[in-house]
Amino acid sequence: MRQDYQEFVELNTEIIVIGSEKVELFKNYWFKEDLPFIGLPDPEHIIQNLYGQVVNLFKLGRLPAQALIDLSGMTRYLHYGNSMMDIPPNKDIIALIKRTL
Amino acid sequence: MMAKVELNTYAPEFTASDFNGENISLSSFTNRMNVYLVFNRGFS
Repeated sequence: MRQDYQEFVELNTEIIVIGSEKVELFKNYWFKEDLPFIGLPDPEHIIQNLYGQVVNLFKLGRLPAQALIDLSGMTRYLHYGNSMMDIPPNKDIIALIKRTL
Repeated sequence: MMAKVELNTYAPEFTASDFNGENISLSSFTNRMNVYLVFNRGFS
């Protein structure tokens, strides 16, 4: 994600990563990895539940999910992963932004 | 069953604090930037 962030910015798109980790763990990870985009700790799962991120106990946690929201606030793309590895490549999201937004 | 977002509808609004304590609202990006929300599986 970090390597493609500038391309998202050039397409007028901010990235917000939301995770279950507590604030300190989130902060440490962000600084350690020197991530340029926004990170939102959601340890009480408020936003995760609001957006329907699926918890799969057999797969040991929350499955990945992504949403692309346009300038007007409309949801233009949604992906709910079927496995921990089911994450769309950044290049696909970038192509979608170029095509539709 | 958890709420799920529908395509081509307004995304649910939220406000949360980032790890620096700064409030981030989805609506603050309206008419300014697209937003790509990434819901992590976790760092660990």
